Amino acid sequence: MDRTGNSSETLLERLGLNSVATRLREFEVPSDGLTWTRFFGSMLLVLVVLLFLSGAFLAFYYSPAPGVAYDSVDYAQFNIPFGDVVRGIHYYAWNLLLIVMGFHLVRAFLVGGYKPPREFVWVSGVLVLLVVPAFIITGDLLPWDQKGYWSTQVRNSIMASVPVVGDLLVRMLQGGPRTGIVALTRFYVLHTIILPGLLIFLIGAHLHVLSHRGLSSPLAGENTPRKRVPFLPNMINRWLVLFIVVTVVLGLIAWYWPAPLGDPADPTDSTYVPKPEWWVLALNQLVAIFKGPLTVIATAIIPGGLVGLIMALPFIDRSPERHPTRRKKAMLIAAVIALVLLGLSVMGYVEHYLTPLE
Amino acid sequence: MIRKNLVSLTMIVALIFGGGLLGCDQLGGDSQLIITATHVHKAPTSLDDPVWQKAPAVLVPVKGREILGGEEETVFTKAVYNDDSLYFLFKWVDPTRSVTKQSWQFDGKQWVHLKGNEDRIALLFETTRINKFATKGCAVTCHSPPDVDREQWKLATQTAAEKGDLWHWKAARSAPYNYADDAWLTVAGRPSGSYRETGRVKDRGAGGDIKNQAKDKSRPLYMQNPAKEPLAPGFLLAEEAVRITDYSIFKPGDVIPFRLPKKPSGSRFDVRALSIYADGGWTVMLRRKLDTGHDDDVVFNPRKRYSFAMAVFDDSGADHSKATKPLILVFRR
Repeated sequence: MDRTGNSSETLLERLGLNSVATRLREFEVPSDGLTWTRFFGSMLLVLVVLLFLSGAFLAFYYSPAPGVAYDSVDYAQFNIPFGDVVRGIHYYAWNLLLIVMGFHLVRAFLVGGYKPPREFVWVSGVLVLLVVPAFIITGDLLPWDQKGYWSTQVRNSIMASVPVVGDLLVRMLQGGPRTGIVALTRFYVLHTIILPGLLIFLIGAHLHVLSHRGLSSPLAGENTPRKRVPFLPNMINRWLVLFIVVTVVLGLIAWYWPAPLGDPADPTDSTYVPKPEWWVLALNQLVAIFKGPLTVIATAIIPGGLVGLIMALPFIDRSPERHPTRRKKAMLIAAVIALVLLGLSVMGYVEHYLTPLE
Repeated sequence: MIRKNLVSLTMIVALIFGGGLLGCDQLGGDSQLIITATHVHKAPTSLDDPVWQKAPAVLVPVKGREILGGEEETVFTKAVYNDDSLYFLFKWVDPTRSVTKQSWQFDGKQWVHLKGNEDRIALLFETTRINKFATKGCAVTCHSPPDVDREQWKLATQTAAEKGDLWHWKAARSAPYNYADDAWLTVAGRPSGSYRETGRVKDRGAGGDIKNQAKDKSRPLYMQNPAKEPLAPGFLLAEEAVRITDYSIFKPGDVIPFRLPKKPSGSRFDVRALSIYADGGWTVMLRRKLDTGHDDDVVFNPRKRYSFAMAVFDDSGADHSKATKPLILVFRR
């Protein structure tokens, strides 16, 4: 700095961030980290950012109390300019997140992305996958409409059927025997503070392990050296392009098909029959099959077993072979599980969406 | 390379589109009847305008309560809208055209009220949210409060924050001026008094009717101005009425309306109507601006859905009606 107070330092230098910027510029990632054919992971990141931003907008207008929650959502959606687009993006992004997450998981499975040395990349990714439904479940109640309220009742009854901890879990979640103001406040805190914190931590852990162990290489040419590009600006620019594409397309969807906001919740109206969403059709069908004392099979044993199996996959399938055609046993088991889940979902769809109510 | 990028981009967009749309129509469980207002570029101008063919018809069940308990009918309902207004078309069976509304008849010695009242149709929309209206319908406004005697029930909401928009087409009192009386609903007056007042409040402006009777209620006070051609033959409009000065001009059997419709204006005149009685039933078309700019009216935003309910009254001067369960109005482009 000279005597006139002028400085030749850049803003980054003044803020003490120069070394961080230099590290990011020097940090290189494989060029195929985000390409037209490999983008699920990046898309998930983009969707999470989009959900956080749209969620923050909605939180500015939201009041977590049963008497006013519905009206506050209605106000944000229909009285604030582009409120319906923002709520629509928030609504549709969750659905997309689940689908892309499914594709991400399937791709990682097919290319053996869980094989050493990336076991914990897989495990941390599955943990992220488990947090997402919690977001949807807690977010569903927040508008305090009929669908959210009665879907929560169904979910709570399913949760309560889990042995030993079920009842306790439901009471902790609801803060009492009924879904009222305490439940709504707890769901709101979970949805906007605790779960986002947990998700950021898990994504951070996932990316940390990923950067430490590296991206899995293409199946063809595993030992071929890969072109590398600087993280800043190349990868950041690609993310920005993806962010814009996703935002515009979801914005258009939200504009033409506004996010639904049903009738206000009426706890005295037990005639309302909530329809399960597409991603829980299989689980819902299991509950329909295993009734009475067998419910625990559908609510705890099968889902828990499946999650345990997916989580432990890197430690069960320990062969170093990555190519799917040379992992026939694993492929066959996965195909059977996928077919069963698909079959249950189709059965659930027919029962809940195509069969008229009596 | 460009083709590959384009194909890939298309696939990404398709994925976002498909994935997003999986969330469409996740409301489910709605047991209410949905009336869909179809967007039209040309507004209907008559009851049989071809534009009405573009709108899906819904047969809305209406069920009688109290003295009409158990009686069931249906109201053929259609709705369309353009960028300015919302239009409803209703048809329902009614074996008699009732517009008498206690008209006076001279029997040669004295004036007596004729038996008979009027046919009506009423719609109630939520202006602000009325607690449980979406699931219980009119029951939460007509049968309120539940802790007082039935005789004291008044059409009202439970709290001042809950407001409704009430459109009331009356065959004898509003049809002559081609409108439906526009009122709004709030909490009942004198809620803790010995007699509760209705929560029905007329919108700002003129309208309604005046009773055509002498102070001692023994005879009519007004008759059609003989110098004026009646605007609505069969009815006596207040603006065309003149004071009767000589009762000796009336012959036995002469009839003079008891209720004289007043010329409507202001917010009370927001809901325009066309109506006809033919082939044993009523056909009524209602039209209202999506946004009237009046704070006593519901604002229709075509992106929203609206809870409403309706009731038809057959030759009735009281609240004996056949009413619907709660209905949903949605707009479709």
